[in-house]
Amino acid sequence: MLEALLQGLLAVLQVKAFSFMLLGILVGFWVGLLPGLGGATTLALMLPFVYNMQPVEAFAFLLGMHSVVATTGDITSVLFGVPGEATTAAIILDGYAMTKNGQAGRALGAALTSSLIGALIGAAALALAVPIVRPLVLSFGSPELFMLAVVGLAFIASLSAQGVRGMVRGFIAGGLGLYLAMVGQDPQAGVARFTFDSLYLSQGIDLVPVLVGLFAIPEIIDLVVRGSSIAGTTNPGRIQGALEGVKDVFRNGWLTIRCSLIGTLVGIMPGMGGAVAQWMAYGHATQSARSPEERAGFGNGDVRGVLGPGAACNSKEGGALIPTVAFGVPGSTSMAILLGGFFLLGLVPGPEMLTTHLSVTFSMVWTIVLANVITVVLCFLLLNRLARLTTLPGHFLIPVILVLVFIGSYTTNSSYADLVVTLVFGAVGYLMVRAGYPRAPLVLGLVLGKIAENYLYISVARYDAAWLLRPFVLVLLAVAVGVVLYPFFQLWRARKRARA
Amino acid sequence: MRSLLFAVLAALPLVGAAQASPYAGKTVTIVVGYKPGGGYDAMARLLARHLPKHIPGKPTVIVQNMPGGNSIIAANYLYSSAKPDGMTLGTFNRNLPIAQLTAVQGVKFDMRKFAWIGSAANETTVLTIRDDLPYKSFDELRKAKQPVVIGSTGPGANTYDFPLLLKDLLGVNLKIVSGYSSSADIMLAVERKEVDGRAGSISSLRPFVERKLVRPVVRARSHDVDPTIKDLPTDESLAPNPRAKAIMALRSAPELIARPYVMPPNTPPELLKIMREAFVAAIKDPAALAEANKAKLDLEYTSGDEAMKVLAEVLNQPKDIVEEFSKYVKFGE
Repeated sequence: MLEALLQGLLAVLQVKAFSFMLLGILVGFWVGLLPGLGGATTLALMLPFVYNMQPVEAFAFLLGMHSVVATTGDITSVLFGVPGEATTAAIILDGYAMTKNGQAGRALGAALTSSLIGALIGAAALALAVPIVRPLVLSFGSPELFMLAVVGLAFIASLSAQGVRGMVRGFIAGGLGLYLAMVGQDPQAGVARFTFDSLYLSQGIDLVPVLVGLFAIPEIIDLVVRGSSIAGTTNPGRIQGALEGVKDVFRNGWLTIRCSLIGTLVGIMPGMGGAVAQWMAYGHATQSARSPEERAGFGNGDVRGVLGPGAACNSKEGGALIPTVAFGVPGSTSMAILLGGFFLLGLVPGPEMLTTHLSVTFSMVWTIVLANVITVVLCFLLLNRLARLTTLPGHFLIPVILVLVFIGSYTTNSSYADLVVTLVFGAVGYLMVRAGYPRAPLVLGLVLGKIAENYLYISVARYDAAWLLRPFVLVLLAVAVGVVLYPFFQLWRARKRARA
Repeated sequence: MRSLLFAVLAALPLVGAAQASPYAGKTVTIVVGYKPGGGYDAMARLLARHLPKHIPGKPTVIVQNMPGGNSIIAANYLYSSAKPDGMTLGTFNRNLPIAQLTAVQGVKFDMRKFAWIGSAANETTVLTIRDDLPYKSFDELRKAKQPVVIGSTGPGANTYDFPLLLKDLLGVNLKIVSGYSSSADIMLAVERKEVDGRAGSISSLRPFVERKLVRPVVRARSHDVDPTIKDLPTDESLAPNPRAKAIMALRSAPELIARPYVMPPNTPPELLKIMREAFVAAIKDPAALAEANKAKLDLEYTSGDEAMKVLAEVLNQPKDIVEEFSKYVKFGE
């Protein structure tokens, strides 16, 4: 196995493979930065180019591209409050708040460093999972996937403000998200739900236009109203603090690792979707608040709200490769397209990838590692220039951001209705911010609603009530209850400390 | 005067040449009714690479994705908005004839009026069950006492409709569990023994058959059937009555034109002829075949006239059969 590990590294370091990886990184860099244009779509567009490549070269190209998308997507989210990718929306909450406080450098430093650590942990998980991958993935059936979605939904409690009022508002927003997830044809009876006879709605509401509207539009309005630069009146001169951000990650090293593991776990589960990972990690990061004041600081620029999602977003890629490689079952949309790449190259994903083609599998691990290291170093070199954009007067930036926002959401379905959805959710987002409702639970509800519904249906149809007693289901149920009760525990602990 | 005549005569062949290649320097767009990444999209991109060399004038061919409404949006666009100038091709959900037949909300086209180029593939739907089950043949499966659980994505997909007809019309003891997000997810459920099998096109199931995870037991009708499954019984051959047979035939008909290609209605016949010839040539092109083989895409030519025959079969059904059919099969995916 060690030999294969080394062979994999050497294969990636061949001139041709390495050059293809650099090319992939270059493409992925821009795809990540531009809002809307997603990693999955780009993978599909790049697939024809791999026909004449060797497997290692092709994966260096495709994975090199894919693994930097999440990293540079974070940059757009942090600097402009516009989700660079559907999977990098959670980092906006605190990342963009830090930027508004004039701490863009520190936020980016933390985001990039945690991305790197996340990617390394994800890649390590992929390498370590090789011997146990089959039993691991097979032990998670539909009931377990349903419970995992429930754990995700339980994080709504953490994503809401503390106190009864905050909780109720969080649950209302989460309920709205679940409702929105129901739009479209239901998969059991084929009935169209809440589509109002519109063809656009018949396949459900897409995540990208919703996210872009919900997060980008309110911030743009805010920027117009303030009439200043993004970084406001705080003029930091030469943007400093990137190093501070790096240090933040190591100060919260244990949290970074935990969030990376959350990302990997979500990645491994086929059908969970990448968008879930960042939100669960963000919810977990808020649990690290030690006092109500600290908890209230989340959303206003707490660096832990940046490094948690940053780590999870990159670690999920290594995780998502696990079922793709071992079973030919993709862990995410991008992986489904990558699977097409396997066939093009004459490789059949499945047990053979863990035996005969083990060195190819390890070359993927190395590609993820190398691509992320290169990107993060590259980003650190550009960081000051990027961060200085936030000191530009708003009226220079707003037109550019608006164009990118609308192009980004239009690329979802190439339909004008995408723009309408963006505007509607822009209004919803603005009202929610003004009225003090959290937006994160809505997104979590929308992302997890369909997964929860389908896997619950399958579990009941297949096992009747017996699925409730499966051991992993019980464990996950306990975790979900713990997640819901944790904010109350946080409050109790803080009170006790205050009294002491 | 004479020199002028010569000049005109000399210019004539030039005019002729210009007329012979209305595609020179032009861009042809293939509109795909799905997002990038799926089978329809992969086929369109393959053809976009190989069509140009077979069209006189060697135009550029590009792919435009127009997803939504299970491709109804793209078909509506091709039917009424796209110019019939020969520069637009379209490919969409093979089940759109079913959508028209059952009058699905939002359908604003008549399939028969498109200028049909043909189909680039046909699908054979099979039911596969786990290799470790005691049922070695369809006959044995029909005698199963315990319900055999079949995983499915949802109504409208062949993972659902094909086993549903086997269950309801042939009385096979199947239990269909739907809601899986993709056919790959169902395969994983098969692997962990959550479900006992899955229906789908043989091209998508072949890797799993080859590594002996599942075995095919029954198939739908098709032409150019894969030799490995040619001897399987077809659902229609076992139908207990003509009504059941008609419903099964109606379900499987669109699979004979699984990758349909059309041009907008009223496209000039000479342009349609050029495109039809290029289409055949591209599909039979050894380079295209080699690529398709690598990408695990099946590339089989069905002519536009054949496609029209299939449409006639689907759309000329008597009313009672259509009503009966809609009880079982819903349009989707």
